[in-house]
Amino acid sequence: MTMILPGGEPFFLKGGSTGCLLVHGFTASPQEMSWMGEYLNKRGCTVLGIRLTGHATQLKDLARARWQDWQHSVEDGYHMLSSRCQNVIPIGISLGGALSLKFAAIHDVPAVVCMSTPYELQVPPVWLLKAISTIMPVKKKGATNWSAPDAGEARVDYRGYPLRAIAETALMVDSLHPDLRRITCPVLLMHSRADDFVPPENMDRLYAAIGSDFKEKKLFDRSNHILTCDIDREDVFQTAAEFLEKYRLLP
Amino acid sequence: MTELMKGGEPFFFSGGETGILLVHGFTGTPFEMRWMGEQLAAQGYTVVGIRLFGHATVQEDMIRARYQDWVANVEDGFAMLQKTCSRFYIGGLSMGGVLSLYSAAELPWNGVFSMSAPIESPDARLAAFRPILPLVSKVWRFSAKGNPDWADPSRDEDHLEYPTHPVRAGVELVLLLAKMRKNLLKIQIPVLILHSKSDRVVPYRHAERIMHRLATQDKRLVLLEKSGHAIPRDVDREQALNEISAFLKHSSPGASA
Repeated sequence: MTMILPGGEPFFLKGGSTGCLLVHGFTASPQEMSWMGEYLNKRGCTVLGIRLTGHATQLKDLARARWQDWQHSVEDGYHMLSSRCQNVIPIGISLGGALSLKFAAIHDVPAVVCMSTPYELQVPPVWLLKAISTIMPVKKKGATNWSAPDAGEARVDYRGYPLRAIAETALMVDSLHPDLRRITCPVLLMHSRADDFVPPENMDRLYAAIGSDFKEKKLFDRSNHILTCDIDREDVFQTAAEFLEKYRLLP
Repeated sequence: MTELMKGGEPFFFSGGETGILLVHGFTGTPFEMRWMGEQLAAQGYTVVGIRLFGHATVQEDMIRARYQDWVANVEDGFAMLQKTCSRFYIGGLSMGGVLSLYSAAELPWNGVFSMSAPIESPDARLAAFRPILPLVSKVWRFSAKGNPDWADPSRDEDHLEYPTHPVRAGVELVLLLAKMRKNLLKIQIPVLILHSKSDRVVPYRHAERIMHRLATQDKRLVLLEKSGHAIPRDVDREQALNEISAFLKHSSPGASA
């Protein structure tokens, strides 16, 4: 028996000199980036969908994670891709989007793409989350509302949120604020009006704070939070590819 | 700290249909496998050198590591090779060898090699006090390392690893070793065991015991003479590389890299 949940493994697809580093979201798995990965690979990119520390194994593993571990997972993916690709572009959803932005603030990347990314989490203060997590370690997840019927079929994720890890996510997102103005590469932000988990105002606040002169934002209408799997996904993938094409990053 | 130790980053070299996963040791970094990775890539192999959780950052991170994290990292590496290669090998140094041998009975590898792998903790106290160590390690967090055993001491200058052993992580190593010993009895693929007679961290008797316990009949033990524990960095590394290259060719007859 493997440690990683079946279907939740990272994936690598061989392609051209542009490497797409795909970063999944909180409590999810590389699976939620796999359709986007296949699309970008068809467009000629080399693709690596990483697994963030503590994800796609057991819920208790995530409770041990600190947000720096997730940043290290992104670093790992970057170094693996850059051993073979000239350009490496971080592309992430939700927490993965925040990690991608942080990476773009620290490293010299040619572009960055973020989807459904929070500027601020609507959660209790970190000290309180940490305290509650000692008596109530896990908050159960409600059912996900998908707009596309097939969006959740192959989904690999945890059925709850470790409170300790919610605190880490909040710390990660807060740590991003001073970094945003340091981002100078082209940035594409995408969000859905119908996102019931991270409201679309987050995109506007990120957009305003990002230092780059080359930033774009695009709203979708029908999808829920998981833009890479939900009903607008083909549009989302195409928008990302057009953005890369514009900066001559598609092979 | 959000960045990895400089030079200690993982690597992924493109190559042919045969993929090799390289696994570093306890408190080490992918750096100790990099030279070998480069050499194997030059021979035409696709090579991934993973970073194990808690390594190549700050040693405090290792306190939170569980052996399951390290096994999952090996699975990550396999998954990365899976869609680009058709034949798969795994090998590692010390605990990386332990993880490789453990994984040999779990995933569809075509062959496995280890360097300087122990069969049990070389420090008997670690196993004896294991039940109380998780508690003790809250106070006694780091244990001093013994003197390095390089045959070529100049290798120590640019070596990248943590300066101490995180005690809590030692518990995980002991648990992993027990899992590996069980799996040795199940391994049916070709195995190459490399060890140095001059290894003062893990004596080469460990290699002989691993050989004895391995279920497969296709197994070979190569004893080096001068090298210290860190075989892929020390003086006999060319010989080790040649043995590994020959092993890869022997166990995939007809296949090209």
